[in-house]
Amino acid sequence: MLTDLYSRRALVWAFANRDFATRYRASVLGWLWSLIQPLATLVVFAAVFSIVFRIQAPPLGNGEGASYAAFLFTGLVTWNLFSGLLTLSMTQLKSNGELLKKVQFPAWAPILGASLVQLIQVALELIVLVAMFVFLQNVGWTWILAVPILLGCALFAQGIGLMLSILNARFGDVQYIVTVVLGALYFLTPVLYPMSLLEGQNELLGWIIRLNPMSWFVEAMHDVMYSLVAPPWWEIAALFVGGFVVFWIGFTVFDRTSEDIGELL
Amino acid sequence: MSPTTSHAVDLQGVGKRFLRHTDRRNSIKERIVRGRSRNAEDFWAVRDVSLQIPKGAVYGLIGHNGSGKSTLLKMIGGIYRPTQGSITTQGRVAALIELGAGFHPDMTGRENIALNGSILGLSRKEIASVTEEIIEFSGLSEFINDPVKHYSSGMYVRLGFAVAVHMKPDVLLVDEVLAVGDEEFQRKCFDHLYSLRRAGKTIVVVSHGLGQLEGLCDEVAWLERGVMQQHGPAVETIAAYLRKVNAEEAARNPLVEAVREEGDDRVRAGDQTVQLRTARIIGPDDQPITHAETGTTFRVEVGFTAPEPVLGPNVRIALQHDSGTLVAMPNNHRWGVDFGTVDGDHTVRFALRDNPLLPGRYRVHIDVFDHTGSRLLDSWNDAVEFAVRSPRGEIGQGLVELPVDITLD
Repeated sequence: MLTDLYSRRALVWAFANRDFATRYRASVLGWLWSLIQPLATLVVFAAVFSIVFRIQAPPLGNGEGASYAAFLFTGLVTWNLFSGLLTLSMTQLKSNGELLKKVQFPAWAPILGASLVQLIQVALELIVLVAMFVFLQNVGWTWILAVPILLGCALFAQGIGLMLSILNARFGDVQYIVTVVLGALYFLTPVLYPMSLLEGQNELLGWIIRLNPMSWFVEAMHDVMYSLVAPPWWEIAALFVGGFVVFWIGFTVFDRTSEDIGELL
Repeated sequence: MSPTTSHAVDLQGVGKRFLRHTDRRNSIKERIVRGRSRNAEDFWAVRDVSLQIPKGAVYGLIGHNGSGKSTLLKMIGGIYRPTQGSITTQGRVAALIELGAGFHPDMTGRENIALNGSILGLSRKEIASVTEEIIEFSGLSEFINDPVKHYSSGMYVRLGFAVAVHMKPDVLLVDEVLAVGDEEFQRKCFDHLYSLRRAGKTIVVVSHGLGQLEGLCDEVAWLERGVMQQHGPAVETIAAYLRKVNAEEAARNPLVEAVREEGDDRVRAGDQTVQLRTARIIGPDDQPITHAETGTTFRVEVGFTAPEPVLGPNVRIALQHDSGTLVAMPNNHRWGVDFGTVDGDHTVRFALRDNPLLPGRYRVHIDVFDHTGSRLLDSWNDAVEFAVRSPRGEIGQGLVELPVDITLD
């Protein structure tokens, strides 16, 4: 699998170049849009949930108070990484259908290319997040641990995205179902609220949230970025290895089932 | 070395089954409600085709629309997987199946060359080395840094062709794309195909341009409903195919034979001292035919009635090509044939010896004049119509084949 990926890296890169070059070509503000959108979400959510619902963020790692906006944005960046890669990957086979019907090349190439470009947006959001924490003087060595966590999250999303893209090429309903499921999953992930809020609440709901893999990634990010606490090393390793395993499964399933993709589209 | 190494493409019992669209369970609801049903509407686009295409050959695939030619080509190109059998190809295969298929409208011509090159399997270094050549060949250097969405369809196709043929393929698959671009570019494409052929590349062509194929191909395979009918030297296979097509058309069309009804005076002219009755096209075996073949004698037979004896009438048939050109107007006076006094029912036979007419559709108009040639007795416009076919498939080579002797000193 890895040798396949490596040998066709130029092709993945060419698709990434295409998507990068065309993504915001027709818009005036260009790449700024990829920041304006999450920042607008942040402002609205921060206002609604901290003022109207009075959700309290846990204390910052530097011990100087709390910032709901910073807490929310940490979770939001992680969630956007997941949902962005997933939704983008899911529709790639269809949007490259004309090409896949006429030329023979590995069908995962346009998907991974599109994902690479999506990662640039994630990087932009991360820069804003880091700037936010620097401004709050909440800086720590635990930030380094965000790298394996985010990589694991990206691999996890990509693995699921690859499998969903095949399903979506077969059944047009899949993308709508996934949109609905993602909408629900968003609220079942501790992005808008801290896990501590669940204590003494509905047991079942608490379990669902705790079993949601995205909760693990988001909580780990809260720990290392916001609370500046290092989770045990095996937890970080599990997130990374788990993400890789899901990617490996997704890629293998994709490779085995995408051979007739030209006929399905 | 295995014995197959001299073959660029080796097909062994290749078959391709499609599920018909009516049977596709395209939504989850349908899958759940109607379950998995197969078999019932399987459709074999290609069945049990075995074929060896030698290295350096130009190979043509012919057949009706839907005969499986393009499916076969897509399988050789690896876009479709065969349901049965195996396909072995040697070297890089590039498909000219749809030109510019990988172009992104918002990217410039140059960016698209790079993208298409990677999709077709070239490394970045290889792409860089052919980019200028591609631009030169396409003749689009002036527009190469404009987004391709501003290109005309002709420019789009030119760039697509230029990219595809510069991918240094060992096997080039060409599907019906030669009929694009203006005359000049088409010639350039053909020149390029000929030069690839001289360079020993293998080319597999699907086309309906039988004349083109005859000139370009060494061998041709003829498919019919997915089954191989015949393969071998281009000229023979194409001739066999045309014979079949012509015979089928003859069987489908009503016989070319026209009878004038009594009392149908709408289109009559002349004083009716002679009345035209029937017009027929008769083949070499004395049976009515729908089409004549170039080089084979056939007859136009005109039946008339003279209620009273008429002295030496002149019967003239005018052969008009579909384009409106009058090709010839044979008549018995000019040919020095005197019918004498005619009375009652007669048939005039015009035998077109070694039919010199080239492929096309022809209409027959009939006029009858008196012995002086100045008085019109009867006239019948558009009496019959017939087609001329050629076993060799020349089209657009003029209207008639002249008896020409060519020598070189």
